Amino acid sequence: MDLSQIKQETLVVASTYKPEPRFLLAVLQDIQRKYKYLPKQSLEVVSEYLDVPLTKVYGVVTFYKAFSLTPKGENIIKVCDGTACHIKGSMNLITEIKAVLGIDPGQTTADGKFSLEIVNCIGSCALAPVMMINESYYGKLTPAKLRAVLESYREGGMVDAK
Amino acid sequence: MQSSKRLTILVCCGPGCIANNSMQVYEAFKKHIAGSYLNVEVAMTVECECDKESSPAIKATGCHGLCEHGPLVTILPHDITYIKVKVEDVSEIIEKTVLKGEVVERLLYTDKIQKKKLVKRDEWTFYRKQKKVALRHVGLIDPGKIDEYLERDGYKALEKALKDMTRSEVIEEVKKSGLRGRGGGGFPTGLKWSFAAQAEGTCKYVICNGDEGDPGAFMDRAVLEGDGHAVLEGMVICGYAIGVDHGFLYIRDEYGLAVENMKRAIVAARERGFLGEHILGTGFSFDVEIVRGGGAFVCGEEMSLIRSIEGNTGEPVPKPPYPADKGLWGKPTVINNVETWTNVPVIINKGADYFRSIGTENSPGTKVFALVGKVNNTGLVEVPMGTTLREIIFEIGGGIPKGRKFKAVQTGGPSGGCIPEAKLDLPVDFDSLTAEGSMMGSGGMIVVDDRTCMVEFARYYLKFLSEESCGKCVPCRQGIKTMLEILTDICEGRGQEGDIDLLVEIGQMVQEASLCALGKSAPNPVLSNIANFRVEFEEHIKNKRCPAGVCKDLTAFYIDSKICVGCAVCAKRCPVGAISGDKKQLHVIDQGKCTKCGICMDNCQFHAVRVK
Amino acid sequence: MEIIIDGKKVEAQYGETILEAAKRNDVYIPTLCHSEALPGLATCRLCMVEIVENGVTKRVASCSYPIQSEIEVVTDNEKLRRIRKTLLKLYYTMAPNSEMIRKLMEQQDVREFNRCKVDTENKCTLCGLCVKACETMGTNAIYTVFRGAAKKVGTPFDEPSEPCIGCGACASVCPTNAIEYLEENGTRAIWGKTFKMVQCKACGKYFATEEEIAYLYQKLGDDIDIKKCETCRKKANANRFIAAIKAEGF
Repeated sequence: MDLSQIKQETLVVASTYKPEPRFLLAVLQDIQRKYKYLPKQSLEVVSEYLDVPLTKVYGVVTFYKAFSLTPKGENIIKVCDGTACHIKGSMNLITEIKAVLGIDPGQTTADGKFSLEIVNCIGSCALAPVMMINESYYGKLTPAKLRAVLESYREGGMVDAK
Repeated sequence: MQSSKRLTILVCCGPGCIANNSMQVYEAFKKHIAGSYLNVEVAMTVECECDKESSPAIKATGCHGLCEHGPLVTILPHDITYIKVKVEDVSEIIEKTVLKGEVVERLLYTDKIQKKKLVKRDEWTFYRKQKKVALRHVGLIDPGKIDEYLERDGYKALEKALKDMTRSEVIEEVKKSGLRGRGGGGFPTGLKWSFAAQAEGTCKYVICNGDEGDPGAFMDRAVLEGDGHAVLEGMVICGYAIGVDHGFLYIRDEYGLAVENMKRAIVAARERGFLGEHILGTGFSFDVEIVRGGGAFVCGEEMSLIRSIEGNTGEPVPKPPYPADKGLWGKPTVINNVETWTNVPVIINKGADYFRSIGTENSPGTKVFALVGKVNNTGLVEVPMGTTLREIIFEIGGGIPKGRKFKAVQTGGPSGGCIPEAKLDLPVDFDSLTAEGSMMGSGGMIVVDDRTCMVEFARYYLKFLSEESCGKCVPCRQGIKTMLEILTDICEGRGQEGDIDLLVEIGQMVQEASLCALGKSAPNPVLSNIANFRVEFEEHIKNKRCPAGVCKDLTAFYIDSKICVGCAVCAKRCPVGAISGDKKQLHVIDQGKCTKCGICMDNCQFHAVRVK
Repeated sequence: MEIIIDGKKVEAQYGETILEAAKRNDVYIPTLCHSEALPGLATCRLCMVEIVENGVTKRVASCSYPIQSEIEVVTDNEKLRRIRKTLLKLYYTMAPNSEMIRKLMEQQDVREFNRCKVDTENKCTLCGLCVKACETMGTNAIYTVFRGAAKKVGTPFDEPSEPCIGCGACASVCPTNAIEYLEENGTRAIWGKTFKMVQCKACGKYFATEEEIAYLYQKLGDDIDIKKCETCRKKANANRFIAAIKAEGF
C-alpha cells in the first residue's frame, strides 16, 4: 500500500470524529482495527488532524496495550494468562506454541501466518486454560489439543477443538 | 423463576457460554423452530420476537452464572434448565421439552452436594445461596429489548426520583442505604454524590467505570452485556441528584459485545425518553457517551480513567483534589463502578431500608464475585455481604475438583491477597477482607489448591503489575520491578537469605509512598502470601524446593511405587513421552526428558505422582 | 491559617502545598523531582511527610498535598526515614552513578544496595521534569513512552524529534544530569540532532541554537533582546539598573 493511500484512509477514519484532542484514543482504535496495527504515517495524520503533538500521540500509542506499531500475522493467537488460566497451566501452552511455531509472545512467524500474544483474562475462566485464534475460542487446552489446533490453522483450515 | 406463561427459551450468551458455542446453539434453536415447529408464520414471529402468547420466544441472554456447565438453556414456563447443551441436542429439546413439556434427563444438572439430578435451576445449590440484586435481570432478559427491562420495573426508579423526590432526597436515600463503591475502594456512594452536589460550578460530569482489568474477573462485563439499562438508569438518577447533564461510560474496548449492547441500550433509552432532552417530560436533560478503554489496568484508577477520557495516557495525578471537586476537565465528577450503578435503581425503587436488610451493618447489599480457579462450579455468583468464604467456595462453588486439597482463596486480584484455610469462616465484606491484608477489589475470587505455588502466584501478580503500572512514580515502578526480580530469583533457585525480609521492606515502602491506588495495593499479593505461607518461601530459598511442583527449576516429579497401579494415564498424557512402564506395572519418569509441566500429577487420580 | 510543622507553629496559606509552607519556614524536606518553576510532578516521592488531618494520621507527598485545614506535619521520624532509605536503595539500582543520588544516599545514610541488578549506564530516574519543561516551552519534542517497567523518556520512533529546537531546557532541569548533549565548534548535539549555535553579541560565547532564537522571536515578538548570552544580559540589566538609580540621584 502506498503512503498517500494510508494517509488518505486515515483521514477518512479520523474525520468521523470532531477534531478535538479527546478523541485521540478513539481514532487510534479505529485505525488499529482497520490495519491491525498503526502505520507511522497514520500517526502523523492523526497528530495534525486532532492538533495533538506527534510526541504525545506516540506516547499514548506506546502506553496502551490495544495498539501495535508493527503489522500482525494472518492469525492472531491470544493465550489468556488471566489468573484462572495461569494456575491451570497457561504457561505450558506458551511453551508448546514456542515448540511448534518457534515464536515468543509478541512475535510473528517468519511466514507471517501467526502472531502470538499473551492477554489478561478474556472472561472465559470456566474454560481455563483458554486461548483465542482470531475470533474462535479453544478451551480446556492441553499441549496435545493445542498442537492439533495449530496444525489445522497451518493447513489453512480450522477445527473445532473445544 | 418467573411468572410469565409465555413459552420462552433462554440461551445463555455470556462470555463463558459464547466460548462454548452458545451462539450456535441459539441459532440452532431459531432455525429449528422456524423449520420444524409449527409453520412459517411462526418463524416470522420468532424473528420479530413473538407477539402471540402461544409462540415461543428465543432469547440470547446475558450470563446465567454457572459458566462451568455452559451453555445453559432454560425453558419457561416449565422452568427446566439444561447444561452443556450442544447444537445436536436442540432438536430433542424442542421435540420433548418445548412441545411436550418432558424432561431430557441426560442434559440435567447433577448437584454434587444434594447428590441428585435437578430440574429447576433455583433448586441447585449453586443458586440457592445466592441473592440477585445487581444481577437481577442478567440471564433473564434479552438485553437488546428495552421492553423486557421495562416489564421488570425498569426506569420506574428514575420516574420516582424525577417526579416524587427532590435532588437532596435522592442523595439522602443513597446515603441511608449505606451503598459502598463496588469497584474496590468501598467508599460510601451517597457521600461521594453529596460532595459533587456541593462542589461549585454548573458543569459537572458522571462517569461509569467499566474498565474491568483485573485478570480473572468478569462481573462488570456480565452486567454491561446482560442488563445495560440498569447501569444507565443508575447514572441518570445520579445526574438528576447532583445536577449534571452529561455522563461518560468508559468500557474496555476488548469487551466488544458490552460496547455494542450499551450502544443499543443508549439508543433505545433515548427513543423512549429516558435519556436526552427533557427526560420523562420534565425539565431535566441528561445524555451518555461511550468511551472505549485502550487496554490499561491502571485506568481502573479513577484519576487515570479521567485522564484517559481526556485523550491522555492513563497516568494518575495526586489526590486531593478528588474527582468530586476537580475531575474530568477539572470539573466536579462522580465516578462509580458498573456494579455500583446497577444497585442505585433498586435503592430508589425499594428504599434504603430494603437495601440495608441485605448484607451486613457496614457493608449493606450484595456483592458479585467471579468464582474461578480450582473450584467445581466456576462462574458468576452474587451473595449477600457477610456470606462466609466457606459457603461461597464449598457450597455455591461445590468444592475443589479432583479430590485435591484447598489451599487458599485470592480476592481482590492484583490489589488483593490470599486467604488461607484457617480463615475460611470469614464473613466477606469490605472491612473483613481488608483486615486480612486482602481486599474486596472488584470481585475476582480465585480458588487455588495444593498444586499452586504461593511464591510463583505472587510473582505472577507482580509480573502483571510491572507491565500494568503506568510507571510514573518511582516506588511503584521501580519497587515492583525490584520485588519481581527477587521473586523470580527465588522461583528459579537464586533466592538468598534475607530476601523475604527485603520483600517485606520494599513492599511496605511501596504501599506507603506510591502515588495512586494501584501502587499502594500492588504489594498486597506478595505481603499476604508471605504472611500466610512463609514456610513455602523459605523452602524455595533454603532447600531449593518448590513443594507445589510449579517452579520448574526447583521441581522433580517421581511416581510413588507404593501407590502407582500402572493405569498408564500419566504416560498417555505426558506431552514429551517422558513416562514409561508396562500396563499394571510401576511407571517411571525419565528426568532427562521431563519438562516439569506437571500434567502427569494433575491427571493421576491416585495421587501417585509426587514432588521430590 | 496556622499549621504545625515539627512541633512549631507556622503561618500557611489555604491551598498551598506543605512543601511550600515548609520551605518558607526553613524546614528542610528532601526532594528530587521538585522544581519551583515546574512544581507538582509528585513522582520521586522522597518528600513524604506524616500529617494528622481531622484526627487521621497519614503519610503524603508534601510537594503536592494542599493545606486545607490546620494540620500537624512531621517531616522526620522513624517511619519516614525508613521509607526514604528504602526508596533510595531503589534509586541506587536505577542511577548509581548520579551525583545527586549519591548525595541523597549519603545524607540519608544509605549504603550501596547490590542485591538486585544495578544499571550502571543509566542516570535517569524518570522524574518527568524534562518532559514538563519541553511541554511548557511549547515545543513538545520529547514525551514519556511505553509504561511500567519499560517506561522511558524519548522521541517518536526513537528518531530525531522534528519539533526539537535544541534549547536544552530538558537537560538544564534534569536533577540527575541524565540528558546528554555535546557542545563543540559552535554546535550543540542533543536528542539525535545537531544544531548550529549563535554567538553572544557582547562576549562572543556560543549561547543558544539558531532554532531556539527563531522560536523565541516567533513566540515573544521581535522586540525582545536575545542577542546576548544570559550572563551578559544580566550584566547589561545590572548596568542599566545602576544607571537608573544614579539618575534618580541616590
